[in-house]
Amino acid sequence: MSAVLNLKEIERRAFRSTYQDGLWDIYFGAIVMAMAAFMYRPEDGYSLANIILAIVVIAVAGGLLLVGKMLITLPRMGQVRFGPARKRKARTLAIILGLVVLVQAGIVGLTALGWLSPHVGAQVSGFLAGRSLERMTVAALGSLFVGPPLILIAYFVDFPRGYYIAVMMSLAVFLMILLNQPIYAVIIGGLVFLPGLVLFVRFLKRYPLPQEGVPHE
Amino acid sequence: MSEITGSQDYSALAEIDRLVHEPARLAVMALLYVVESTDFTFLVNQTGLSWGNLSAHLSKLEEAGYLDVEKSFKGRRPNTNLRLTTAGRSAFDEYRRRLKQVLDDLPE
Repeated sequence: MSAVLNLKEIERRAFRSTYQDGLWDIYFGAIVMAMAAFMYRPEDGYSLANIILAIVVIAVAGGLLLVGKMLITLPRMGQVRFGPARKRKARTLAIILGLVVLVQAGIVGLTALGWLSPHVGAQVSGFLAGRSLERMTVAALGSLFVGPPLILIAYFVDFPRGYYIAVMMSLAVFLMILLNQPIYAVIIGGLVFLPGLVLFVRFLKRYPLPQEGVPHE
Repeated sequence: MSEITGSQDYSALAEIDRLVHEPARLAVMALLYVVESTDFTFLVNQTGLSWGNLSAHLSKLEEAGYLDVEKSFKGRRPNTNLRLTTAGRSAFDEYRRRLKQVLDDLPE
């Protein structure tokens, strides 16, 4: 009886069931692989065209995610609106992410200012003493830009697989910057994408479309 | 024939709302209690009940005034949006309170 009336557990199970389609895993995995493929430019660094391509890929992947949710998941899972507690969590997440983005923008801005100022640039380069340490620092910063926000998102939206995705995406960014080879990020993206695909196929089998003519009282 | 001795008061047990107490309806009400609203398909998936069985239970809850049913169409497909009424939420709260009292009062 306590299991039936454990309302927190009932709500959590209902909420987590909305993620069992694996679409978010597919989305993040696809983003990592696409960014590795499009943004990898060992000769020239990261060109504007490649950055634009990567943004377009992210937008397309996001669109496909939405369409997947509307046309595949919703008709099979059904629709639910969760209570005020979830909405409060979503608002808190939005505020925290807003602050994180501000901090990250500040870091990027300061970095850009440092690059533009020869005096500051010389001091930083002296401090980092060598290309390899500089690259490692940039790689570490890149992964810190990705990892913690994703972990926060995973926590606030109650998405346990999100922690795994956060770690993998951080690792992908780290290796992509450090080693300047896209293959590692593509492999890591695959390690996120493929389990998502398995979940998706399992979801389709477990939740067939409701048949026409079934009573909907 | 054995006799119940002692001073146990089982009146709380008799006052349990049987409409809520039925296991399938209890599962439905518990789920509806923790969400704002949901549709028929989601309830079927979460409770594991068949469509017909769930429909019958929802009818009883609606007749009792515990459930608000809003019917619409999404394209060509009918869609049924369900939420507990204020009376339904109160009934569920009351059920939990009485059941807890009954369980707490049970002798060792």
